[in-house]
Amino acid sequence: MTPTPGQSTRPERPRLRARTVGIAAALMAFSVFAAREVGFDPSTFWEVWSNPLWEKFWPIPWDWVFDSGNVLQPFVETFQIATISTILGCGLALPVSFAMSSLTTPNRPTYLVSRAVMNVVRAVPDLFWAKLMVTAIGIGAFAGAWALTIFSLAVMVKLFSETVDGADPGPLEAARAAGGRHAPSLRTGILPTVFPDYVAHALYVFELNVRASVVLGLVGAGGIGRVLEAQRQFFRFDRVLGMLVIIFVVVWVIEQVSVSLRKRLI
Amino acid sequence: MTAATQRPAPPRWTGERRGAIGVVLLVAMVWSISGLDVTLDRLLGAPSDAWAILRQMIPPAFARVAARGAVGKVFESVYIAWIGTVIGALLSLPLAFMAAHNVAPIWIRVPIRQLFNAIRAVPELILAVILIPITGLGPWAGTLAIGIHSIGTLGKWATESIESIDSGPIEAVESTGGRWVSSMRWAVFPQVMSTISSYWLFRFEINVRASAVLGMIGAGGVGSELVSHLVFRDFPAASAVLALTVGVVLTIDTVSAAVRRRIITGGVGGDDSSRSAEALSDLTGINHR
Repeated sequence: MTPTPGQSTRPERPRLRARTVGIAAALMAFSVFAAREVGFDPSTFWEVWSNPLWEKFWPIPWDWVFDSGNVLQPFVETFQIATISTILGCGLALPVSFAMSSLTTPNRPTYLVSRAVMNVVRAVPDLFWAKLMVTAIGIGAFAGAWALTIFSLAVMVKLFSETVDGADPGPLEAARAAGGRHAPSLRTGILPTVFPDYVAHALYVFELNVRASVVLGLVGAGGIGRVLEAQRQFFRFDRVLGMLVIIFVVVWVIEQVSVSLRKRLI
Repeated sequence: MTAATQRPAPPRWTGERRGAIGVVLLVAMVWSISGLDVTLDRLLGAPSDAWAILRQMIPPAFARVAARGAVGKVFESVYIAWIGTVIGALLSLPLAFMAAHNVAPIWIRVPIRQLFNAIRAVPELILAVILIPITGLGPWAGTLAIGIHSIGTLGKWATESIESIDSGPIEAVESTGGRWVSSMRWAVFPQVMSTISSYWLFRFEINVRASAVLGMIGAGGVGSELVSHLVFRDFPAASAVLALTVGVVLTIDTVSAAVRRRIITGGVGGDDSSRSAEALSDLTGINHR
């Protein structure tokens, strides 16, 4: 197209390339195949919606829900699991994160090994850890706390080691140039600059832990999920729904508090 | 001031503050441990119990679990995650356009934002607990749970990316008399689609992990295999299932991260050596600087 004087040319329309079409077709084909594998059928939406079982969720028995022994006590247990595993996990994460950052690692083998191990640990979902721990050391909150400690450690080192990677290396160099040994150099050269992020990440991990500890009981690892599972097996879906409302409110409140605290920290 | 540099005064109250924080943490620890029904012999016995099981897990019995169809179950988890992501993506996209403050009026924006927040607050597993009695056990329950939960996060991320666009193209479309739909299609959509599709992929990575877990309560996928092996204390089989899951999760993470980077940067930048270094660091998580 030659431009006529005084008129601007329209840019050419991008053409559809064969590769784009091919990728789109492949994704569609995979989606259709996967949809059949999971039993997707547009009519199932309607079946779910019109299922008479929904009536069993209503009305919510509030006096049962607010009876302290039923929901409140296991909820406290849930918080205890979340608190202890956040403290232990984040505490352990501090040295491990320093080992995992190329800026602060004591030596190359430590760096490689800690990264590889933590990647594998993180690839195992949280409830798998819980089930493993329940099998290893018995049903109850103790196993749940162990599992969440491992999970918090894995999440925390990922977040915090990236913060350390991005920290200003200047103070650390200064500390080393002054003849500081490894640990004191980190303590004075890096830790003060990254500590606000550390606390913010720890709060985030606590948030994750509260959510995770709510469902731990579904695999026998203590907390409110234990009651949820029991009521589910008795087909008391009205009670299940009542508990879910409480869980929903508590998780929401904790998230709001934690988000506003984190905003102030960073 | 003299020529000699003065040392800055150390911050006050640091010692007291540290002490206070230490006390708070200690009290929190004692309080939480008091609820965990911990006895000294349990505490001392736990590491050796865990170690005993770890020893039985090696070597993993891959052949035996493969004969039972564990590989198919792992793929079922991937299918659940994929369809769940597709459902979440398709439903969240139009909603996100109605939730962004620069393109939607307030009366529709606020309720949709609250909907996203509400959905995000309910974990997939809880959704699955509600859905299983309705749909029956099986992959469809897990798919729906993941699909619904994904609407919340995907909607929030998509809204944020719509809100961060350049407003010039919208003005351009409006100045030519284009209606709301046209300005969305021609001014907003092209700007946000690359970011949003990379969010979809990222959510898919998360959903693969989530769908593996959903199987533990009977919502389809590999979780049920792991649970049944652990219940019968068949540790070599359990570790094989675990290793399969971890392998698939890490592979999907690696591939998806590479695709996401390609989408965002619009091309594979740098020379060959930096590209392979990137691929390696994706695979191993090790940063070669």
